[in-house]
Amino acid sequence: MQEYSSQAAYDRGEAVCVIGAGASGLIAVKNLRENGFEVDCYERDTVLGGLWNPENQHCPLYPNTHLVTSRALTEIPDFPMPDHWPDYPSAALMLEYLKSYAAHFGLGEHIWYGSEISHVEPVEGSRFEVVVKPAAGSAARRLRYGAVIVATGHHWVPNLPSYPGQDRFRGTVLHSSQLKDGSRLRGKKVLVVGGGNSGVDIACEAAVGAARCVHSTHRGYWYLPKYLGGEPSDYALARLNRRRPRWLRRFLTDRLLKGPRRLADRMGMDRPEHGHTDEEPIRNGRYLEHVGDGSIERRPEITRFDGLEVGFADGTEMRPDVVVLATGYRPKITCVPAGLLGADGDPDHPKLLARMFSPRVETLAVAGLVEPGAGVLPMVHWQTHAISHWLTIRRGDPERAANFRQQVVSESAQYELESNGTSPRHALAVDAEEYLASLGRIIDTLEQEPAS
Amino acid sequence: MSLQTWVSRTRAPEPVSVKRETAVVEPADLLDADYRDDPDASPVLCCTGDPAGAAAFGALWLKRIATDGRYAAAVSVRGQGSTPAAAGGTGAFVHDVVQAAIGLPRRTVLIGHGHGAAWCAEAAARYPAAALVMVAPKKLPKRIPKPVGSPPVMLAVSEADSQSKRVQAVTEAYGIAPLTFPGSGDEVFKGPNAEGLLDAVLSWLNRG
Repeated sequence: MQEYSSQAAYDRGEAVCVIGAGASGLIAVKNLRENGFEVDCYERDTVLGGLWNPENQHCPLYPNTHLVTSRALTEIPDFPMPDHWPDYPSAALMLEYLKSYAAHFGLGEHIWYGSEISHVEPVEGSRFEVVVKPAAGSAARRLRYGAVIVATGHHWVPNLPSYPGQDRFRGTVLHSSQLKDGSRLRGKKVLVVGGGNSGVDIACEAAVGAARCVHSTHRGYWYLPKYLGGEPSDYALARLNRRRPRWLRRFLTDRLLKGPRRLADRMGMDRPEHGHTDEEPIRNGRYLEHVGDGSIERRPEITRFDGLEVGFADGTEMRPDVVVLATGYRPKITCVPAGLLGADGDPDHPKLLARMFSPRVETLAVAGLVEPGAGVLPMVHWQTHAISHWLTIRRGDPERAANFRQQVVSESAQYELESNGTSPRHALAVDAEEYLASLGRIIDTLEQEPAS
Repeated sequence: MSLQTWVSRTRAPEPVSVKRETAVVEPADLLDADYRDDPDASPVLCCTGDPAGAAAFGALWLKRIATDGRYAAAVSVRGQGSTPAAAGGTGAFVHDVVQAAIGLPRRTVLIGHGHGAAWCAEAAARYPAAALVMVAPKKLPKRIPKPVGSPPVMLAVSEADSQSKRVQAVTEAYGIAPLTFPGSGDEVFKGPNAEGLLDAVLSWLNRG
């Protein structure tokens, strides 16, 4: 049973409730404020920065985390990072960046720390009653808001596979988020599971420090170095999308990807069954070199755990001291009833309009629940820009709002997941190019002069 | 800045990074006890087309802005003052202004003079400035860039220029009335005319 204080809900009028003070939440607060909204932002932890802050008790960073997308394509469009920073800033720089963003736009005064949202419920049509549970254990508070933006991110609930015999395994099994410190791998026999960016980065850490590093993956990925043709590879590839005929773009892209592709073939990687923009490619220039010099041994999927041993699909076995499960996270939003996010079906991941609007209530939106294979911060900036404009129009011009709603529904049809080799773990993947174009059309519609 | 302009900018090479000269006077730096320090007041960033760069604001502007309680800064874009020259043209000057702005502790007012006014106008279309002040602007782009975050905009022109077509087009684009000041548009850094202009700018910033 939830215990409420005896008072009636405190009505915050047209104010907007933002849940989470990580990168997405901060951008949401800034853009809402810029559009004249009162904002209350609730953060369950005691610090801002979300996953980028090691002081956050749920921080999912692993040793030596760096951006996998380049600075110029990752920075917030209207608040660039300092131009003397490296092309691929570290997690520590990212945190510094988010802190300076918050300070620059005075966002701190709108954030309530140590306040977890335990429940959100639609009331009076399109308004919400929000239950805030302070961490300190005092009574929960109930407040009413005109709109709710969920910005809780999707790197909090580890996606944990289970293998036959795993419960009787006598070595250490950790999820990548529990690793924290690279010294835990030093001198050990390490098995890294998972072929995504975190798995590949951790395998590279182990390749240098551990006694032995075995890396198990179960399917093909795109392996790209961080630089292509003398430029950051995301920039080099995005640049080819400038106005050119489609065949020429494809030709130039293929030419740029040929080298990494041949190298991956030589190292015996499975060929990916999806295009390089369908899901986040692996961006790590060191990985294939470590495979090439034997400091990372590649294995197929794990078939069983057995006492001290682990068996792989190719019949080989090993005795690891530490097994690191770099198997990613599940997109799970617990503060809002699953039905409001269209997450009550099967599979149970949220199904949002244009990847941001609730399919059920017009004043509920989610920021940052996409994996575009490009910088997420700019996507969130444009998402929250659109959401703020939408809320403004909805208030003043119901007719325009209804037309807009229809457009969003038709835009959304594009993102019905075509499951061409992408795993369930990649339910949030979007093609950055297409998604941005779609956001652009949505924003254009919102910013059109109202027909009089 | 529309999404489309942002996308096309991310597909062009970023200007080379230079070590920019900035001059800063904070209210607390003033030995003069007669200042007010308002921690909530937006900082001010100045920029001119004059080759002296930040130094041009040193004698009068920065000190008086700080006396008014604001964090006062000026930047020399590439090639001005002691900032090394580097390739890039107007786009790179705008980049320098934006980079200087994000380095300030809070959302800043942009004050541009001469060509600097044009760079500040472009910078305000990329960065949500707290306010945009253009003093005797030169070579403003034909299509006036739409500022992001709808900041208040002020245009100050010399009396001689106030009737020109160009000034009218600019005031129309921003929907504002120009403020006129006596004397030449190039003599805004010292003298009684300059002080009168600066006081007008500051009282506009402090209004309401």
